[in-house]
Amino acid sequence: MGEKKVKNIFVNGAITPAFIADSIAKHSSKTAIGGHSIFMGQVRKDEIAGKFVAAIEYTAYEELALEKMHQIREAIFEKYPLNCMHIYHSLGTVKTGEICLFVFTSSAHRKPAIEACSEVVDRLKAELPIWGKEIFEDETHQWKENT
Amino acid sequence: MIASSQIKNKNIQMEIEIISFGQIAEFIEHQKIDISGITDTETFKQYIENQFPALKGMKYKLALNKNIVQENTAIKNPATIAIMPPFSGG
Repeated sequence: MGEKKVKNIFVNGAITPAFIADSIAKHSSKTAIGGHSIFMGQVRKDEIAGKFVAAIEYTAYEELALEKMHQIREAIFEKYPLNCMHIYHSLGTVKTGEICLFVFTSSAHRKPAIEACSEVVDRLKAELPIWGKEIFEDETHQWKENT
Repeated sequence: MIASSQIKNKNIQMEIEIISFGQIAEFIEHQKIDISGITDTETFKQYIENQFPALKGMKYKLALNKNIVQENTAIKNPATIAIMPPFSGG
């Protein structure tokens, strides 16, 4: 695979608000940054045929997903003048109301950070081999589909 | 022995590891098959759809040795093929 560094994006279970706060705090020393953009995906309590979603269980083809994420990351850094970019996605069970996706981009001025953040979320949903199984309160399930 | 390499290929015994994900993992288990007659991803699709008719009505993509298959691709022995339903991350 050569010398390229493929970063891990996966975390087990929900992404905690403390982890996100800590990630923000770490940027105070990076004084070239003038704007951050953050997207957080939260598991929604959808109602389907009278049943409510209690959690989503995520699985992934991890090696392929990380390789694909690496390519997306390179393309985004090429396209936008970013100072940094951090991406975390949950695996395993994430309950309704908890965070399952955290995308954090930073640049000298706000626009590249905002646009890059939005593009990363779009591409990640369309291109990464990750699957969400919606678990209902009665423990039945259905497979999530991205629209 | 038959000289034509194409005919020869058809007789080659292939070892293919099949992995599947999401909804498809509910009916196709992780397995290794020893098979002849599969030379490319199109013939693999025909094989797997015959083995698992439930797949016929579904949207899915293949990844051959961790590369997403965009067009019919030759399979070399041994191979790992992933069968993947539409992605739903995020």
